Amino acid sequence: MLYFLDLLLLSLVVGLVGVASNPAPYFAALGLAVAAGVGCGALVGHGGSLVGLMLFLIYLGGMLVVFAYSAALAAEPFPETWGVGSVKAYVLMYLLGVGVAVWWFWGGYGDHWVVVDEFKEFFVVRGDVSGVSLMYSVGGGMLVVCAWVLLLCLFVVLELTRGLSRGALRAV
Amino acid sequence: MTPVYFSFTSAFTLGLMGLAFHRTHLLSALLCLEGMMLSLFIALALWMLQLESTTFSAAPILLLAFSACEAGAGLALLVATARTHGTDRLQALNLLQC
Amino acid sequence: MSPYVITILLSSLGLGTALTFMSSHWLLAWMGLEINTLAILPLMAQHHHPRAVEATTKYFLAQAAAAATILFASTINAWATGEWNIYCLTHPIATTLITMALALKVGLAPVHFWMPPVMQGLDLPTGLIMATWQKLAPFALIIQMAPTAHPQLLTTLGLLSVFIGGWGGLNQTQLRKILAYSSIAHLGWMIVIAQFKPQLTILTLVIYIIMTSATFLTFKLMTATKINTLAMSWSKAPIITTMAALTLLSLGGLPPLTGFMPKWLILQELATQGLPLTATIMALSALLSLYFYLRLWYAMTLTISPNTNNSLAPWRLQNTQNTTLLTIFMIATLLLLPLTPLAQALI
Repeated sequence: MLYFLDLLLLSLVVGLVGVASNPAPYFAALGLAVAAGVGCGALVGHGGSLVGLMLFLIYLGGMLVVFAYSAALAAEPFPETWGVGSVKAYVLMYLLGVGVAVWWFWGGYGDHWVVVDEFKEFFVVRGDVSGVSLMYSVGGGMLVVCAWVLLLCLFVVLELTRGLSRGALRAV
Repeated sequence: MTPVYFSFTSAFTLGLMGLAFHRTHLLSALLCLEGMMLSLFIALALWMLQLESTTFSAAPILLLAFSACEAGAGLALLVATARTHGTDRLQALNLLQC
Repeated sequence: MSPYVITILLSSLGLGTALTFMSSHWLLAWMGLEINTLAILPLMAQHHHPRAVEATTKYFLAQAAAAATILFASTINAWATGEWNIYCLTHPIATTLITMALALKVGLAPVHFWMPPVMQGLDLPTGLIMATWQKLAPFALIIQMAPTAHPQLLTTLGLLSVFIGGWGGLNQTQLRKILAYSSIAHLGWMIVIAQFKPQLTILTLVIYIIMTSATFLTFKLMTATKINTLAMSWSKAPIITTMAALTLLSLGGLPPLTGFMPKWLILQELATQGLPLTATIMALSALLSLYFYLRLWYAMTLTISPNTNNSLAPWRLQNTQNTTLLTIFMIATLLLLPLTPLAQALI
């Protein structure tokens, strides 16, 4: 289980390499989806099934769909994928960098915390679930701030994208 | 460094490097920002899980709400830029150079 | 823009700054910074012309990256020490990262490149908010973390800012870019003293806000965004033109005016701390800034406008803009120097 989680965490890094290496936005969104997926797996493996679920539903289900739609604004006739030209060079460069960093920094299994799955029989309430209930009781202020910022975001988006006389989107 | 610490640190660094060094599209820059926020979310959630700090477990969720707002504002700016500049290429944003 | 929306945006601007001020937890401080950034975006892009949208986009990218880096560095600190308190920032990498991220947020020298273009794309009232109110929240964090930050890093940031703020403004003809570079130079003065005497940082910030508000409001009154327009200002409002020239000298830090006070106290403190070299470099590089203020001053008061034929009449017409705020800021900009003993007694 421990090594499987390490594999998931490494896949997170590889997914971010896919985003950072400047491919066409379609593929960058794909890389981010992969990263979010394996990140969700890592969270579940560490015992945070609720935050994992939240990541999956909100992040993958909500935000990335919007990003995928917005990729239409950045459409190109010949989108670059990871195997082509400069993107390939960037991917190789970043992978090399990550490899060197792994070689240099990886380790510390001595102070590796135990993965929760390995003694799950002892738990009655998972930590993340009880904490979320705390947010609705004593953490009310933060909840109000969060609701306010979501409302504010609505106004921000509406004001930024208001059409005025400039009309709809134009082609390049 | 434990593998968890290593992976979120390098994931964030990769996102930041991607945002800083080479972007052709504004959307790619926003995706890099999202990658950074994703690694932050995972970092906060794993910190909470590994230290069994239940009171902190609202923090990743609050972070997710804020990063959703940020992504929304970014995409609105993408639409506005595509409207005024005709494209979302960052090279087209050159009206204000010194 | 509808007044209700403006109300919501301005109150959120206040909310963000207040959250950052009152927080002792990095997450809440980050939230305040995010609210601040989000709330000012529509104000920046309110005219929807390409330059405004471009400035908004650049501002958003810089601020979002800086805010994410702040939270990342505090997460590193929490993984190392288990502490989220702002005062308990001890991990060396985390302090350096946060210093750089806050420098990016306010626009200090090695990471200042977003600032002049963004200012250039805004109208003057929004530029005023950008140069004053938006600096408050990051500076609250800078003052709180300065004792644990790397001393050489802060000094380097300050020296570079004063230098580049002076140098970059030399070749500009656009007033908003000049004011952006002036802002960078003043921020350099604030950051260099933050580790020795944070009260002086606050004093400098307050006086900078007063001076730059007076300048922005004057330019708004004259609807001036280029040096050329300044040359015609004497025909519109002769008295304000004279006062504005003095305001520019106050920004440059000449003795009988308010702007001299923070520079004087900072140089004195640096000398007391045994850093005469830093103090000398700071004082000499203030001359660079003084040069472009003097150029504005020259264009304003000693130059005949290039098109004199029909610009003699405007001073007969009554000005309809409200000048109460401008009056207050202008008087404070010109006459506060005698209050130096009071300021020294307070800090």
